[in-house]
Amino acid sequence: MKREFLKQDWFGPFIVTLLAIVIVGALKPSFLSPFNIQILLLAISVNALVAFSQMVIIAIGQMNLSVGAIGGLAAISFAGMMEIWGLPWPLAAVLSLGIGLFAGLTNGLLCAYTGISAFVITLATLSVFKGINLGITEAQPFYDVPEVVKWLGNATMVGPIPWLVVPFALSAIALWYLLFRLPLGRSVLAVGGNTHAAELSGISVPWIVVFAHSVSGLLAALAGIMLVARLQLGQPSIGDDWLILSFAAPIIGGAILTGGRVSVGGTCCGVAIVAIITQVLVLFNIDPFLVQVVLGGLILWAVSVNRIREVREQRKAAAGAS
Amino acid sequence: MSQIENENKTGSSAIPKQGRRFDPIQRFLLSNEFGLIVLIVVFAIIFSTVSPMFLSKFSLYALGRTSAVNIMIGFSMMIVIVTGGLNLAVGAIGVCAAMAGGWLMQAVGLHWLPALMGGLAIGGLLGAVNGVLIVRSGLHSFVITLATMSIMFGVMIFLTQAESYREISPAFTAFGRMKLWGVIPPMLLVTIGIGILLWVLFVYSSLGRQILAAGASPAAAELSGIHVDRMIVWCHGLSGVLAGVAGFMLVSRTGAAIPSMAGQLGQDWLLPAFLAPVLGGTLLTGGRVSVLGTLLGGFLVTMLTSGLLLMQVGAFWMQTYLGLLLLLAVLLDLARRSYLSRNKLV
Repeated sequence: MKREFLKQDWFGPFIVTLLAIVIVGALKPSFLSPFNIQILLLAISVNALVAFSQMVIIAIGQMNLSVGAIGGLAAISFAGMMEIWGLPWPLAAVLSLGIGLFAGLTNGLLCAYTGISAFVITLATLSVFKGINLGITEAQPFYDVPEVVKWLGNATMVGPIPWLVVPFALSAIALWYLLFRLPLGRSVLAVGGNTHAAELSGISVPWIVVFAHSVSGLLAALAGIMLVARLQLGQPSIGDDWLILSFAAPIIGGAILTGGRVSVGGTCCGVAIVAIITQVLVLFNIDPFLVQVVLGGLILWAVSVNRIREVREQRKAAAGAS
Repeated sequence: MSQIENENKTGSSAIPKQGRRFDPIQRFLLSNEFGLIVLIVVFAIIFSTVSPMFLSKFSLYALGRTSAVNIMIGFSMMIVIVTGGLNLAVGAIGVCAAMAGGWLMQAVGLHWLPALMGGLAIGGLLGAVNGVLIVRSGLHSFVITLATMSIMFGVMIFLTQAESYREISPAFTAFGRMKLWGVIPPMLLVTIGIGILLWVLFVYSSLGRQILAAGASPAAAELSGIHVDRMIVWCHGLSGVLAGVAGFMLVSRTGAAIPSMAGQLGQDWLLPAFLAPVLGGTLLTGGRVSVLGTLLGGFLVTMLTSGLLLMQVGAFWMQTYLGLLLLLAVLLDLARRSYLSRNKLV
């Protein structure tokens, strides 16, 4: 039982997260103040959705460079529809989610039916979506965000827990249920694990690819909308700096880039670790420019750990077989 | 069983291929490069009829300067794509090399030539570090260069505190503003020169052939005595040097080494870096390269950008058009390849 626990993908990152909280909390008690926890949770809520958006694509063994561009496009459409067309915010949010879904669907269809690598397709669509974003906004933000939205983005529910945690928690649970409890999710993981075997066992691979990209687009759009609520304005630059983060968190959480293996809990821990480190750099007055270095270093560290684990498991499997 | 299959394979390749055979001229007419030349001519005619400004001396000069940089960025990516990998850190390395050069000129006060050499050495070193990490870890170059682009850019921003170096030696900036015969920027000649060197490397040198073999089939190359790992480190190092050259061209053009010249983490270079080789017919799976194609591809992209800007279609939409162009290019290439193979033309 105990050993089962240790083998879980999320276990290592979870311990690291706990350790980080304890150590930083002991060194700087202000780290555990309610205000700081609220800031931390706000960052985690948005970033987790960005990470989930990439995680779904990593699960099928591909990559999605356009996560940030989709998020940015959804964010400015959300703010723009409320400011220019005067739409009520729930309608604007649903329409923006629709835009994200459509953008993901486009990615998926192109990847599934042309056979061109997802890297090239999403590099091209990254540029297309970002260009549409800049074309609409001419690089000017939308400032006129309704008070309700501003309130939702920053108000707290109970104690230091902000409202933005709700969409994050719901999507985390939904994703976990989808990937690990529903046949559809198992097919997603199967396609990532071994595309050929999945096809032979009757899974429609193109359909799964389209499905995964659509979910990815939807999640990226949700992250963009939440960021508009948090920043209280529709910035065209939303999503520009998501690329590294979106890969870092799932990889820290134990995802393997060749596909078939992701962990929702691990990804959440990955996001938490990144958020804590960013906070620590601020709390201890360390140069914030170093965040990029730390993020890159974390990716390198995590991929090597995952790689070592993978090799060890393969060896064990080989030994078991013989 | 596998032996029989092997024999069958070698047997069939020994027999001349079915279908028509072509002399070199016909083969050239069917090639990707010829398609690019046709596109360049067609668009040049369209742009010059719509906007007579397009053929003005100033416009042509600006086009030559920008395309020199874009083609160089394309070369930098091409050399890694040949090995079947990719290098997301092209922009980050280019900026790091250029900033190192700027620092050597301004803070150390070196003459521009040693500063240039120093900067290019930094670029090559950073590229080689990527190569070593990829080879030693056995991980895909995507994730390694994703991490290193963040690290390199972060360290550069930390060291420079996001400040530009503006005291670039006048001789160096004069090079970037020089005009030969009124229209030709010397930078374009540098790019073409490096292109010729790369072409000689891949076509005539055994090192180039070894790189191609390592890219086409690493296992087979390893069995035939090629140090695949060494080739990958070499290519990444060379890619870093070429990225550095592109960075220095920008410094020479703007007269300052600016940390944000390739955007956040150097991401702005990614699109031109992939557009030129992909348009030029370099296979993303590795093992096939077209230096001329990359050169023409980079030129076509720059020409389309500046032509569309002259037609005043809105600078903000430019990125959308370039993205659509990349999509169109890969789709057309796919269609061309399936057409050629269906009609047994290759």
